[in-house]
Amino acid sequence: MIRDKNFNWRLIYRVNFWLIFLAVGLTLIGFIAIYSAGNNNYEISFKYLLVQFLAFGIGLLGFVLLVGFNYQYYKYLDKIIYILSAALLIFVLIFGSSKRGTKGWFDFGFISFQPVEIAKIMFILSLASFLDRKSKDTEKVSFLVSVFAMLAGHLFLIMAQPDFSSTLSYFPVTLTLLFVIGVEPFYLLCAIILGALAVGIPLLKTFLSIQLPLLQDKTFLANLMISLKNFWTCICVVVGILFLIVGGWCFLWKLKIKIALIYPVILCASILLGCIASLPVGKSLKGYQQKRLVVFLNPKIDPRGSGYNIIQSKIAIGSGKFIGKGFKKGTQTQLGFLPEQHTDFIFSVIAEEGGWFIAQLTLLFYFFFIWHAFAIAREAHDRYGSLVATGFAVMFAFYVVINISMVMGMMPVTGIPLPFISYGGSSIFSSLCVVGILCSINMRKYTH
Amino acid sequence: MVWQKEDRFSYETFIGKHKKVCVLFIALFICLSTRLFYLQIIRGGRYRGISEQQRIHNAYERAPRGVIYSADGNVLVENKFAYVALFYPFKQRRTLSAKSIKELSKILGKDVEFIINKCYKYGRFVKLADNLTSEEMLKIREKKLDLEGVSVLKESRRVYYHSEATSHMTGYTGEIRADELEELLGRGYKMGDCIGRGGIEQFYDEYLRGRDGGWQIEVNALGWQIKDFRYVQPEIGASVYSTVDLELQKVAYEALKDSSTGRGAAIVLDTRTGAVKTLVSCPGFDANKAGTKDFGKYLKDKELSLFNRAVQALYPPGSVFKIITFAAAVEIIDIDPEKTVQCKGSFKLGDRYYSCWQKLGHDRLNLISAMALSCNVYFYQLGLKLGIRNLERYARKFYLGQRTKIDLPGEKKGFIPNREWKKSKLKMRWLHGDTVIFSIGQGALWVTPLQMACLISAVANKGVCRKPYIVDRIVDFNGGEIYSHKLESEGRIDLSDKTWTLLHEALLEVVESGTGTRSKIVGIKIAGKTGTAQNSHGDNHAWFVSYAPVDNPEIAVAVIIENGGGGGQNAVPVSRKIYEAYFNMKSGKRLRQ
Repeated sequence: MIRDKNFNWRLIYRVNFWLIFLAVGLTLIGFIAIYSAGNNNYEISFKYLLVQFLAFGIGLLGFVLLVGFNYQYYKYLDKIIYILSAALLIFVLIFGSSKRGTKGWFDFGFISFQPVEIAKIMFILSLASFLDRKSKDTEKVSFLVSVFAMLAGHLFLIMAQPDFSSTLSYFPVTLTLLFVIGVEPFYLLCAIILGALAVGIPLLKTFLSIQLPLLQDKTFLANLMISLKNFWTCICVVVGILFLIVGGWCFLWKLKIKIALIYPVILCASILLGCIASLPVGKSLKGYQQKRLVVFLNPKIDPRGSGYNIIQSKIAIGSGKFIGKGFKKGTQTQLGFLPEQHTDFIFSVIAEEGGWFIAQLTLLFYFFFIWHAFAIAREAHDRYGSLVATGFAVMFAFYVVINISMVMGMMPVTGIPLPFISYGGSSIFSSLCVVGILCSINMRKYTH
Repeated sequence: MVWQKEDRFSYETFIGKHKKVCVLFIALFICLSTRLFYLQIIRGGRYRGISEQQRIHNAYERAPRGVIYSADGNVLVENKFAYVALFYPFKQRRTLSAKSIKELSKILGKDVEFIINKCYKYGRFVKLADNLTSEEMLKIREKKLDLEGVSVLKESRRVYYHSEATSHMTGYTGEIRADELEELLGRGYKMGDCIGRGGIEQFYDEYLRGRDGGWQIEVNALGWQIKDFRYVQPEIGASVYSTVDLELQKVAYEALKDSSTGRGAAIVLDTRTGAVKTLVSCPGFDANKAGTKDFGKYLKDKELSLFNRAVQALYPPGSVFKIITFAAAVEIIDIDPEKTVQCKGSFKLGDRYYSCWQKLGHDRLNLISAMALSCNVYFYQLGLKLGIRNLERYARKFYLGQRTKIDLPGEKKGFIPNREWKKSKLKMRWLHGDTVIFSIGQGALWVTPLQMACLISAVANKGVCRKPYIVDRIVDFNGGEIYSHKLESEGRIDLSDKTWTLLHEALLEVVESGTGTRSKIVGIKIAGKTGTAQNSHGDNHAWFVSYAPVDNPEIAVAVIIENGGGGGQNAVPVSRKIYEAYFNMKSGKRLRQ
């Protein structure tokens, strides 16, 4: 129930200024890094900066509007928001323009917009509303099914573009919200197993096809790997694992350790479903994407190809040492050794030119920003606000952790940008919108 | 905060889960910070190195090697410069245009081939043509605009002036091999470098090679040149002043070449300092041909021309070893020099006969005359009296079986057999017969000619051993002395004065009336010992080790002629020529003064 229908100017004083300060600070770091990453070409630097400024301006507008708007309305508009987000994604499939084989942009001449970024926010808003309403039904299967149906709708539309990396943030957000609302962690584990199998099996195939020539010595591991390449042996392995689970459950039952029958059944079902789902996933992932995901395990497999990014990025970060090489003096950045330096690998630019001090400072900015988002979730006026804030916090945390571990060679290279810093108008616009919603939640925590 | 109060239970569950999520988040950030710290602070230096390495390319200009001088101021080895045309892609291009090739061919009057092989790496020179005349060089410089990417560099070539005579002493140079590169890791060698092989070139390579200069350029990820850092002038290697007397060296080489087989070695040491005045191994080779096709013939040569016989070859010492037997006999069993022994031409031990080289026998001999005539029978008996232990001990006392530590590469140690060796290696007992032949320097006894030269030099010095050396000093291109030989005594052979007197008397007698009379020169007293070393591979090796003048020794000479026959007939005349040359030069100098 919405308490204050009109905007109260006194609320302005309750805006979380720390959140805004950190967001603006990160954006400024981003401006400097993008300018430096312009590769000594002032035209490109200028163009990047212009786009970034423009997006920042539009984002500020969105921020002001969203701060003023009471977030509690979203709770009741959830269906409309979900339909709107789906419509955006459908529109982009029809009217959008393609970049690098992904049909995911609305092109407005000098600036283009990626609706996925907004769709993510809308998804979190509508999912949180759904969870808030059905918070008593977390035990029901229908609840889980409808949540995953909501998720699947978005995923399907995004994979149709196809944009693999944008779908990634959906999983942690959905899973965390489900966990927080009180869903049995076991079900979530099953869901994770299902997803891991669906993505893992095609990746294992790619890995084997790259790595097998290196495994020619007839060790046990090599033989196992080779036998796994056969379709029928795979089936045998899966059936064997299923039998083990059922057998183990029966064994425990005999030992008078009562575990509901539903658990092994769900576990088996998720394994089977995961295996089956791996076939369409394997087809939809492009060859280069699979290779990139695999290569991070061992970049030396292909140093000039897919492993190049990770190796160069690590060199760039490491060579920054304590004080860095100085603004516009990073050799890895300026001489073009670092790939994608203004987007996905922007953190490497900061670490190389700014050194450990600035890089750690950036990390701390992110830490406090996300920490504030979590704090907002803790203190929100209602459960809906808490869920929304948690969702956003997890989304940002996911982006930051995945991107920074990626550039430091701890994760596979996936095209996940760094919020506020990476070049990309849609990203900065949506990030500022999120800050707006978070502030809106925070401002209204004391309203009665 | 309404929710917290209204719906306490669900808020509590929510906050519990929320806390777990927060803890996970903190843990992840700690991971990230740790990783960042690890990469930038702990491994930072290494990564900085890699980043520098991939942005800086070095295009080297080779430094000319240092000059080698002889003791009398002659240049033995120096460099000649020639201009070469090279392709170097300074201007962001990987290939030479057809137009440039045509233009270059026109200037040089011959077809220029431009081949980039697979292993071409950016930042390397590709040779287009060498041995350019200065006119051609100027023409290429004139048409610089048309000939993009073509540079002309001065390239040095090694020139050996007295190549055959000094070849083993100077050595030669060649391009570094991959295995050598690995072996010399961390000493600043790189692919394509020139490295000394054999002789002074190898031993003093670090001084001689100088410091390469060149261009250091910054390249981007595509390998394009972004900016020049600097051009470093190559620094010529240091000059090496050897102790070798060129005239004497030449005389020795000619004398050896004219000897019976033309194979062998001659060493002249300054007994006062240990300086090597001559170090010849015959046959020599032409070091100028190193790196060309002609050089291959030396590698396949049956006469082993590349083999430095003076320090690397092992021979049995033969009768030269009698010096040691003699000294041991005087020292240990205090033999009466006047006591005579009958030599009937052979010596019976058990049921075997050990013959003297003089089949008819020497009649009655005392110690001195036995030495002078090199009577085997006399020394067999001495050997038997001394026993193998004493003989082996004395051989070691005279520094056989160990390196002289001369500053030349590949020196051999030699070998002294003994009871234990024979038992463990040949699984046989040491017999008296072995002692007998050991006492005249046969059996499994192996020495290098240099060891023999050191031995006789020590005898001349009454036991003072000087470490032999061939390089006196090294002067860098600024004129600063960066190395100079310090006179050091390698050791001392402690024998009584009586022994030395007897030994000197005997060695003098060898030349005066014994086997070495062919080396007699009027006015100069020479003492020495001949040797005729039997060996299983062919004719006997001819030895002659000697020193002069007897009263105030200056030089010691060791000569061996491989398979040259008798020492008296073959090795002695070679030494005589060396002495003549040495003392003539000396008197010539005195006259000039």
